[in-house]
Amino acid sequence: MTHPWPVAITGLGCICAAGNDLESCMEALYSGRRGPAAPSRFTSGHPTRYPVFEAPGFEEPPELLRTSALALHAAREALSDAGLDAGSLEGVRVGVCVGTTVGSALNNEQFCRDYRAGGDPDLAPIERILRSNPASVIAREFKLTGPCQTVVNACASGTDAVGLAASWIRSGACDAVIAGGADELGRITYNGFISLMITDESPCKPFDANRKGLNLGEGAGMLVLESEELRARRGGRARSFLLGYGSACDAHHLTAPKPDGEGLRAAIAEALSCCGTPAQAVSFVNAHGTGTPDNDRVESRVLADLLPGVPFLSTKGYTGHTLGAAGAIEAVFTVACLERGRIPASAGFSTPDPDLGGTPVTGCTGIAGTVALSESLAFGGNNSVILLGTRGAK
Amino acid sequence: MMRIAIKGIGAVGGFGCGAADLAAALARGVGRVTGLVVPTAQGELQLPAYRAETERLEQFVPKRALRRIDHYSKMALLGAYLALEDGGLLGSDLSRLGVVVASGYGATSTTFAFLDSIIGDGDICASPTHFANSVHNAAAANISIMLGAKGPSLTVSQFDMSVPSALVTARLWLAEARVDAVLFGAVDEASDLIGYLQHRRCGPRHAGAIAPLAGGESSVIGEGSAFLLLTRKDDTPSYCSIDAVETGSLYHGEYSAPGDPLWLLGADGRRELCARYRAAVPAQSRVACYAPIYGSMPAAGAFDLAAAALILRSGRAYPIAGAAGCDMHGNAVPLETESICSLRLAGDNEYAAVTLSRRGE
Repeated sequence: MTHPWPVAITGLGCICAAGNDLESCMEALYSGRRGPAAPSRFTSGHPTRYPVFEAPGFEEPPELLRTSALALHAAREALSDAGLDAGSLEGVRVGVCVGTTVGSALNNEQFCRDYRAGGDPDLAPIERILRSNPASVIAREFKLTGPCQTVVNACASGTDAVGLAASWIRSGACDAVIAGGADELGRITYNGFISLMITDESPCKPFDANRKGLNLGEGAGMLVLESEELRARRGGRARSFLLGYGSACDAHHLTAPKPDGEGLRAAIAEALSCCGTPAQAVSFVNAHGTGTPDNDRVESRVLADLLPGVPFLSTKGYTGHTLGAAGAIEAVFTVACLERGRIPASAGFSTPDPDLGGTPVTGCTGIAGTVALSESLAFGGNNSVILLGTRGAK
Repeated sequence: MMRIAIKGIGAVGGFGCGAADLAAALARGVGRVTGLVVPTAQGELQLPAYRAETERLEQFVPKRALRRIDHYSKMALLGAYLALEDGGLLGSDLSRLGVVVASGYGATSTTFAFLDSIIGDGDICASPTHFANSVHNAAAANISIMLGAKGPSLTVSQFDMSVPSALVTARLWLAEARVDAVLFGAVDEASDLIGYLQHRRCGPRHAGAIAPLAGGESSVIGEGSAFLLLTRKDDTPSYCSIDAVETGSLYHGEYSAPGDPLWLLGADGRRELCARYRAAVPAQSRVACYAPIYGSMPAAGAFDLAAAALILRSGRAYPIAGAAGCDMHGNAVPLETESICSLRLAGDNEYAAVTLSRRGE
């Protein structure tokens, strides 16, 4: 590696049900405001109208997948926050690393319906998907010349994209990387998660004794990561630093976490080891906290073992589970919380579950420290963790 | 940047199964084109296609354990096992193994099967099994589960650039010493959807053989998986090393490779890319392309890397079937250069160049 840890984060962008930019999202989180509701953009044959978290008022242009349009929206905010624009990016080797689940799936329902009905459907919906690869869309929009990668590690995609982007900076492959995740709500994932019986018919309750599952959401989170050389050259300020990244596979089951949390433990250990950060330095954990019985049990027990007494929360009570975007949105929230020195209540939690390793914070809580951990667990047994810090940021 | 070594090759496709079958097909200069039956509004059509068979997987995994695993994941599993076997790691401690899988299209048959369950029987009958297996990382997950590989796992889907994009990360994992080896591969399947896309894009008449640089449309659907066992370069024998991986977008001109490599082009008979490939290669360069051995698919980038490794180890470049526009006809010839540049182009300006060599072997 050409450069050591840490890696500077100079820009943040976010869109989700909580708001159309980071400031409005944080205002919603700190005020405890959330508004899950039945889907407004699609119908379903389910007798129960499972609530979802839609990005309010967001409309995508017809030529793009909604996922890619969300990614672009957050990327613009992150670049602007970093003080970068098309002119300043000229001659800079900028990469794009984006996590998604829906954004590269060839799964247009109407196309399939027409085809299965014996029709001769037009290729336009499929071609739109092929043109809308989220990482490629961002690269095209800003005429970026560096590597481009769309990570499809299910619900850990966003966290992985941010962690992998740090490697690109550290290796010298890029001067800057736009990294994050994006995913849209749709009938296919809606029906899919309901079929797995891990969807709550009421607003989700991460880590609560009465939790019944997740609510889906949509959105995008983007971060600008920069090399120290570029930052020094242009005088860019760091909002925070990526202090570490770890990932490990449970190698256990396609959709369920390993009961002993082996992969998550390994991922946390690897993330802490990157900068030699002691566990005691972690001031809070932005947990995956989907609200499913299995996830919250495994995750809370691992946290109780490895980071005893460290406050934790799930922000999915405000955003829903945004799948490939989740890890990136939560990374953005984590930095914003570190900057503000407090974390919001873990929305949806009210009743402790004696079967869990602990309880999340129940109100806005001040934090003492400059380091926080954000983690994602995913189908396929993927566990991914990033460590973020604000010490030395200016 | 650190060099990495290719220690094992596992491939399954229209040519057969394993590195030896791939080498034999390269030596013959032909792949085996069979067919894919595609339902259309005009009735069922038989399109030319390269198909992969996965029966040999039962040598590695009990049949019972494969019951719920779809063809897409089976192809990936077989490629992965073959690469480990070829690299001598089968049965070894895999705690320091990373898994990186690239796919252009993902598990399209299972994705459509999930949609079928909704379309045919209603939303409340959506199939949880199909949904769980339709996620892009299902193949990587099945590999990790079957092998007990608990290191990092990554799946990348960047359509035509999936393979080189994923290779960037595999290489960095080794450079960072996150892992000691990476099982790196790519998989794509020939499904109804891919067949229909091909039919609408190229029909009604379909070429029966790929003529990669002839200029007309001659793509033929491929399917299969190609896996490489990668390690940091050391003193133990390997096929070759990967010296450089460069990907990105060019807004002014084409990529220029250092030295005088054999150019292994990703040209696969798609008309829209043919001219870009021709323009990308300097005059008088030696050029090869092997899409006629395994077909047109995003995963072909990994087959190209496997072919390059076989060429470098044998020291002979193979002839090309359907070689109109190429300068390598007839029999295999001495390589006469120490490196191969595997070049892939996509869209208007995306490119990837992977440089492989036998330096230091």
